[in-house]
Amino acid sequence: MVTNPKRQIVEVAVLYLLLGAGAVAMVLPLLYMVSTALKGPVYVLEIPPRFIPERLTLANFIEAWNSNNFSLYFRNSAVVALSTTVISVLCSAMLAYAFARFEFPGKDLAFYAILFTLMIPSLTLIIPQFMLARALGLRNSLAGLVFVYVAMTIPLNTFLLRGFIEQLPRELEEAVWIDGGGYGTIFLRITLPLSAPALATAAIFTFLFAWEEFTWALTAIDVEAMRTLPVAIATFHGAHLTQWGLVFAASLIAIAPVIFLYVMLQRYFIVGLSAGALKG
Amino acid sequence: MCQPKAFAFRIGIGWMLLALLAAACAPAAAPTPGPSPTPVVVERVVTPTPTPKGPVTITFWHAYNPEETKVFNEQVLPAFHQKFPNIRIEAQQVPYDEFRRKLLTSIAGGTAPDVIRSDIIWVPELAAMGALEALDVIMPDFNAYKEKVFPGPLSTNLWQGHYYGLPLDTNTRLLMWNKEMYAAAGIAEPPKTIDEFLRVCERIKALGRDKYCFADGGTYGWAVLPWIWSFGGDLTDPEMKTASGYVNGPDTVAAYEFLKGMLDKGYLHPGILGGGVDTAGGFARDEIANLLEGPWMPAIFAAQYPQKQIQWALMPAGKGGSISVVGGEDIVLFKQSRNKEAALEFIRFMLSPEAQLMMARAGQVPVRTDVIEQAVQAQPYFALFFEQLKTARARLPHPNWPKIEDLLTSTGQAILRGEKGAKEALDELAPKIDALLKQQ
Amino acid sequence: MTRPGGRAQPGPREEGTVWNQGSLRAQRLRAAYLFMLPGMTFFLIFYLYPLIQALRISLYEWSIMPGQDSRFVGAANYLRALRDPIFWISMRNTVLYTAVTVPGQMILAMLVALALHAIPRWRVLFRTLYYLPVITSWVVAALLFKFLFHSQSGLINYLLVDVLHLSDHYIPWLQNPETALVAIMTLGVWKGIGWSMVIFLAALQDIPLELYEAAALDGAGRWGRFRYITLPMMRPTAIFVLVMLVIGGFNVFLPVYLMTGGAPMHRTETLLTYMYNEAFNFLDFGYGAALSYMLAILIFLLSFIQIKLLRRPMEL
Repeated sequence: MVTNPKRQIVEVAVLYLLLGAGAVAMVLPLLYMVSTALKGPVYVLEIPPRFIPERLTLANFIEAWNSNNFSLYFRNSAVVALSTTVISVLCSAMLAYAFARFEFPGKDLAFYAILFTLMIPSLTLIIPQFMLARALGLRNSLAGLVFVYVAMTIPLNTFLLRGFIEQLPRELEEAVWIDGGGYGTIFLRITLPLSAPALATAAIFTFLFAWEEFTWALTAIDVEAMRTLPVAIATFHGAHLTQWGLVFAASLIAIAPVIFLYVMLQRYFIVGLSAGALKG
Repeated sequence: MCQPKAFAFRIGIGWMLLALLAAACAPAAAPTPGPSPTPVVVERVVTPTPTPKGPVTITFWHAYNPEETKVFNEQVLPAFHQKFPNIRIEAQQVPYDEFRRKLLTSIAGGTAPDVIRSDIIWVPELAAMGALEALDVIMPDFNAYKEKVFPGPLSTNLWQGHYYGLPLDTNTRLLMWNKEMYAAAGIAEPPKTIDEFLRVCERIKALGRDKYCFADGGTYGWAVLPWIWSFGGDLTDPEMKTASGYVNGPDTVAAYEFLKGMLDKGYLHPGILGGGVDTAGGFARDEIANLLEGPWMPAIFAAQYPQKQIQWALMPAGKGGSISVVGGEDIVLFKQSRNKEAALEFIRFMLSPEAQLMMARAGQVPVRTDVIEQAVQAQPYFALFFEQLKTARARLPHPNWPKIEDLLTSTGQAILRGEKGAKEALDELAPKIDALLKQQ
Repeated sequence: MTRPGGRAQPGPREEGTVWNQGSLRAQRLRAAYLFMLPGMTFFLIFYLYPLIQALRISLYEWSIMPGQDSRFVGAANYLRALRDPIFWISMRNTVLYTAVTVPGQMILAMLVALALHAIPRWRVLFRTLYYLPVITSWVVAALLFKFLFHSQSGLINYLLVDVLHLSDHYIPWLQNPETALVAIMTLGVWKGIGWSMVIFLAALQDIPLELYEAAALDGAGRWGRFRYITLPMMRPTAIFVLVMLVIGGFNVFLPVYLMTGGAPMHRTETLLTYMYNEAFNFLDFGYGAALSYMLAILIFLLSFIQIKLLRRPMEL
């Protein structure tokens, strides 16, 4: 193929320019949020909006953290997210293993049932889930959040993990049979370790989901002591309607762990997502 | 030969059937045979010893703003805890906008708080639902308190012959006028009538395109009723039986047309259409000349805009007089509460002169008749509020008020946006309100 | 070869069950069900059972107060929805939101993916930046956009009026239903581009280079290569993304709930915000359940149709 090198350079340059412009559009709102948070308590919004604050101050962050129990909400969110992740990924891995390695009657039915639920908006179930939580005494408890979150994340995780496990080589498993091990041994010693990348992806998405879930947390919990971060942020906004800097400082504290995880574990976010999608 | 395949397949189906079965047999709200609509059952409760044994926790929800919350947490609560060391109050601030939804959800979920500071307009609805205890039945010294409070606010607790709460604080809307903007427009005194008000607006508008004579947050009851009533109009007849002829009567129509005219001429800030308007900030920045505001404003301004002075005047009078809308909160006790004795102690405390005066300092107008003088001494501007309260009227004490208000708000929006003429829109609204009034 | 831990003979009884049979087959089944047990338990109790229960609730005028009846009303709630003007408004908004944001996300994501595929360096950096909105929580993003579209001091108005001079007055975005929907949809697109982009990029990178080289040898130009190689190879991925995005679009709740709450006058309601409002603001659980069931069925049908219609064997 004959290419004009000069033309190619121009093309690439244009591409970079356009991509850069797009990236700016993506990131600008977030940067603006950061800059507003760093501006210190203001009741009057300034025009023209300034990106680089006149005086950088962490006052908003300090106030957000100290005002009513923010550290408590942070802890609640952490407990819920971690518990959900561990339980959901474990259960999904077991389910996925069953789907991937066994033939049994009812298998297709069960699998399609799980797949079918992916198409249903989870919010559809909020009314009966609410009543179920009431009957089981799970309202105003972190467990009530965890159980529902686990149920909501199992379908996607199972789907993701099944595709992965199916592709694992069977020779290792047969070796375990020969040595006298059972399914449990295979699962723990072979399947899980080999599935680490997929497990990591599932864990990350589950954690993300549980960390930022809002609607169920809003509906299931009305006691302040059990509140999670997303609800706290929205309430914060409602209580300080014009203090955007303060609200954004609180928001940034809330999404800090997520951003941190993202930067550290980028690979798993993106690779796992595409792998799951392509094999779907 | 066994048939594991078929049997196991049945297990798979069995899961599904189990779920279906569970769903079919699941307990609904336990059905009790009874006529519908279910009448609210008021039980006679014989009250045991007044002092609870052992530490007891009472949950209390309120929607105090940050300044009021501060006074409540730093002065009222410690005083209570000192007096009743065995009772612990767990107070939760819930923003007003989500208060009702959150409360309803918690009632539905069986986790309602013990006591709340409820907007007066919610009490009939909560009482009709059967969620509240009738205080005149369960509280042996109810009458002692009944006699000490203003009758108007007290009446907001009345439902089908029983009192389901006690008033906690009351308020109304006064005209808050901007001395600096008035001076710039060459006006010395605030308007006494609506006609004078219009003339003020003309002069204010001359100050600039982005200067507004008046602003309000929407077309809900709290906002439009002072105008409707001062124009001589109303929503329903005094018995709340019918809205036709009232909500679409000539005076009500005139009130809405007045507001539309204000908007068209640029006197009324377009934020009333729902985009949100920073009324306090606008006032402080001399962009808005008049507001209808309540007694909490001085505390807010002291905290946020200490430079700006506030002036008060009565609601401009129209054909119907100078009539403003009564607001306020009642303190109510939930049937679901497990510590009613302790809760009653808290309610008594909140109605004591001590607590009432403490909250008065945060701008909460007290409801006890025996503390008026001290209150006015602490907050001189209360005097004008007490004046306006003499003629102020309450919003419909009907359990369907939230739904009625929803319709009223939408209609007001349609009128202000020019989508329908006032008469036309109100004519459409009347039968809908009639239908809601019939449902009790 | 020794069989792992079981009895050598199958059980003698004719109606042996999975649980007391010792054969390898039974062992396998037992193991399979055991593995499935925890996951399926959660799923059944907290997902499937509520799903069926929701249907039941929708057939009643449901009362949540203890001691009060729920009245069976059959299809009354559903019929009420069909006659309810707000239902149709919310339906229209939901469809509109989906119809705008889905192509918006897909087309922009595709363009970005193609561009990223073509550049030699810094791919990871750009990919990271474009994905950042995706991992920002909806709550934070909705509040952020509410701020950006603020009528007095929002960044958008500032850019439009003071910088680009495209308008002469500040637009009250969230006050009017039309402009409010624009703001909400912008949020939807902004937040979603990265997700589709990443998937498209991975799919692009999977297309074997030989195909392109072969096509080039046959004389295909850039557009030809795109049309006859890239697009067909991307088809399954695109279908997957389309189905997921449509489901997500109909599911829209948080942006609307947090930015406008359905106001003004319920004109920006979507089906789910209306459902939530009816259920938890007016405690009309029966009606809320009916609304959500109608949505669930609609989405399911749509997804089904999409998959059936669009799945065709690939030509190679």
